Amino acid sequence: MLQRFLDPSVLAGISGLDLVAKTVVDGFISGLHRSPDFGFSQEFAEYRAYNPGDDLRHVDWNVFARSEKMFLKRYRGETNCQVSVLLDASRSMKYGSRGMEKMEYAKFLAASICYLAHLQRDAAGLIVFDSEVRQFVPPSTRQGQIMRLLHGIDQAQTGAETVLEKPFAHLVDYLRRRGVVVAISDFWEQPETVIKTVGPLRSRGNELILFHVLDPHEIQPKLRGSVLMEDLETGVKMEVSPDYAHHDYKGKMTAHLEDMKSRAAGANIDYFLVDTSRPLDEALRQYLAIRAGRL
Amino acid sequence: MGFLNPWFLGGLVAVGLPIWLHLLKRHKTDPTPFPSLMFFEHREQSSVQHRRLDYILLFILRTLMLVLLALLFASPFIRKLTPKGAGKKLVVVAVDRSFSMRTKEGTSTRLDDAKAEAMNVLSKLPPGQPAQVVALADTLQAMTQQTSDPGELRGAVMAIKESDERASFGELARYLRTLSESTKTPLDVHLISDLQKSAMPAFTDVRLNQDTDITFHQVGKVQPNWAVETMIAPQHVYDPKRVHISATVTGFSAPAATRTVTLLMNGKTIQSKTVNVPENGRGSVEFAGLDQASYGFNRCEIRIDSADSLPADDQYMFSVERTDPKKVLFLDDGRHPEAQEFFRAALNATPDSAFQLEPLRPDVAANSDLSKYAVVVLNDLGSLQSGLEASLQKYVSNGGSLFEAIGPASAVAFPRVPVLDEPIDGTSYASREGERFFSVSDLDSGHDVMKSVERFDGVKIYLATNVGSTKSTVLARMSNGKPLVLERKVGEGKVLVFTSDFGAANNDLPRHYAWVPFVQKSIAYLGGAGSGEQPANLSVGEYVELRTGSEKGAQAEVQDPDGQRVLSLQDAAQARNFELTREGFYEVRTAGGKRSLIAAHANRKESDLAVIPPETLDLWKATGSSGPANGSGQGTGGEGNTTPWPLSPYILLLLLGVALAESVIADRYLRPQAQPQETKAA
Repeated sequence: MLQRFLDPSVLAGISGLDLVAKTVVDGFISGLHRSPDFGFSQEFAEYRAYNPGDDLRHVDWNVFARSEKMFLKRYRGETNCQVSVLLDASRSMKYGSRGMEKMEYAKFLAASICYLAHLQRDAAGLIVFDSEVRQFVPPSTRQGQIMRLLHGIDQAQTGAETVLEKPFAHLVDYLRRRGVVVAISDFWEQPETVIKTVGPLRSRGNELILFHVLDPHEIQPKLRGSVLMEDLETGVKMEVSPDYAHHDYKGKMTAHLEDMKSRAAGANIDYFLVDTSRPLDEALRQYLAIRAGRL
Repeated sequence: MGFLNPWFLGGLVAVGLPIWLHLLKRHKTDPTPFPSLMFFEHREQSSVQHRRLDYILLFILRTLMLVLLALLFASPFIRKLTPKGAGKKLVVVAVDRSFSMRTKEGTSTRLDDAKAEAMNVLSKLPPGQPAQVVALADTLQAMTQQTSDPGELRGAVMAIKESDERASFGELARYLRTLSESTKTPLDVHLISDLQKSAMPAFTDVRLNQDTDITFHQVGKVQPNWAVETMIAPQHVYDPKRVHISATVTGFSAPAATRTVTLLMNGKTIQSKTVNVPENGRGSVEFAGLDQASYGFNRCEIRIDSADSLPADDQYMFSVERTDPKKVLFLDDGRHPEAQEFFRAALNATPDSAFQLEPLRPDVAANSDLSKYAVVVLNDLGSLQSGLEASLQKYVSNGGSLFEAIGPASAVAFPRVPVLDEPIDGTSYASREGERFFSVSDLDSGHDVMKSVERFDGVKIYLATNVGSTKSTVLARMSNGKPLVLERKVGEGKVLVFTSDFGAANNDLPRHYAWVPFVQKSIAYLGGAGSGEQPANLSVGEYVELRTGSEKGAQAEVQDPDGQRVLSLQDAAQARNFELTREGFYEVRTAGGKRSLIAAHANRKESDLAVIPPETLDLWKATGSSGPANGSGQGTGGEGNTTPWPLSPYILLLLLGVALAESVIADRYLRPQAQPQETKAA
């Protein structure tokens, strides 16, 4: 039931980014109760009375032996990680073919990661960029940090072209602790340029995750006839025939994605292609897997 | 250049389709946003491409395709001129021998002039040229087969004889079309005729095939002519003093004149009168009485003193047969005294009635010989002696006819209708409280008896006998659904029943205008007068019926005006009819044994010697060839023959080529440019 709320089209109907992030993360965590990775870096926090349906593994049997009452042990995550979310707000992120723009999807993803990090007591930060750094929220565990992050994500607006060098150089200046850097972008650059730009972060001991957000129509355009296309970032117009889009473009796009994936793997960077038509949990699962490996 | 199906050129309006697609329907220029065009290849914009050569070529090719398609369906052709005589051809010499060719031109007739002209045409034929001579009248007679023998051709022309038939150029055109299609040879036709306007049928009937060249040789010129155009006389004479004969004298292209009209019978002059005929008009004359008509057939003739060049149409022959009127026995027991007078008045309403009413009481009639009566009428008898009923039964079975009125007296007296043998089931009485009267609601208007009764409109029936109709045919029903008039064949005879009486007490039919035709048609139908009898005065070319289907094997006989038997033994035994081929009196005995004297006269359309206008002849000539028409409608034909040369195969080839080119250009137009261009800077 909750899986339904991970569908991007459903989330688009929910007002309030905090509610979206909570819906996604709570639903996602509920779906992870059988995951072998669950339970890392935990410390005891409190007891709670057993309710039917709770996992019996969390029952404190010592208490039960003494009082014949069932209580669950609850744990609190250990804060020892700094999570920085880099959100691309270039004009190309404004594209969307299924009623939801890539920017909107990226916001959901960024908010969900921030919320998840908050639950994990990680110090989460945010950089919104296009050709310049538009917003910067330093990583912190202070009270109200999550609201600052969500507000920053909510305020992000698509602007100019994507230029990765500037925001990543800026981020290097602010990253004093090693941690996890999450970059959410459509990466409309040559793979070589992307890896060359983000590579230095990895060399500092950071875990780097690239979420490559693409619309399904970007991967496989569906044209009924020749159309005049306009580049959202450069404004260049071009006549495109459906035959070319169905064959030549598809081959080039596949090669591009393969190149991105291989180059990222070569640079020991985690790369994940996010299709905006797919639920968010796959991206979150990827994040948690990397987060777990980081600890 | 011409088109076999020119209406397909209407398909040219489809040219508007590419114009609309290419010029009027603008391509949408609103660009579609896309995140990045780094993987797309550069092409020019549509607005620029509209002006490109490919686009213009495409437009031209598509338009050309539609034009060629429309032309292909329209089947264009051009005419190729081939020198006359260069190819094989057949010369047809058609000589008119119709009735009008009897017209005198000086010392000779038109037919003599036509034969001389035919000889002239034949003399100009090159040696070895195949030709055929045909004689034209109502039907076409081939005088020779296709032959190159000049002697045979000249002999055929000399053998042509004048006829009393009318000319039909439609028949000639039909023959020429058939000849052209069967021989596959161009025809060079020479029509030698007085070119009567009346011989021209509807123009579509004289259409000639494309390879037929017709040349008109007119003989004679328009002359004034007077003729006895129509004549009205009875076929049978019962009372010679009451006979009236009228005739119409017409002047064709003639000035006003006074003509003497004479009535002759059996070669003797009966009466003469003068009539004033206006210019190009008609005058009528009427003769009263044929006192000298003898019993049997009489050969009569109306003759005028025209003194014109066509004396053959100055006489109009007709035949009359004098005979005694047939007797109709009227049996009435005195119950309805007015019925007899009503019936007699209706029967004698025409001046020369074919029937004579003879009233008799039923008890007296029982001892009479009924076979001498054509029809026996029973008017609502209240009783019938057994001897009389047996006599009536025998009389009808032997071919006699019975007309019964079954009124209230008969309804009470008989359980079944005498002779008709249908049950009687009381009466239908229209009371004052009910319908007040019955009317006639259903009627077989195709029956001879019911043809002129105007559906018995307004006739009121107050009392009628309910007669069953299990064996009989109901000819009329009343508004209550009960039969009013029934008919049944009994043996060789017929029985007609009226389910009320002939008096005026129980219906008002005798006081109604439908009464006279009802009585006359009924008696004529039952007595055999008029119905089924063929007319005795016919035109030449019409047919006389010799037998019906039930008279196989019996011999028929026809004697022509010369008294010669014209039927072979086989025809006499088998022929169903006989064509009248000349004027005069024909003595005919049908297979059924009935004798008649048929008067045949030439069709009076032949008396109008007006000539077909030259422009009509030019149009007729133009249906057979594409060459310029001769202004006078006469001449020697063109300098050569033209043959249609279809262009469809060439247009089809051109269309295929254009379609191929369109495919290539369209493919090039829609295909993206070969040179890719990265639009996003690395």
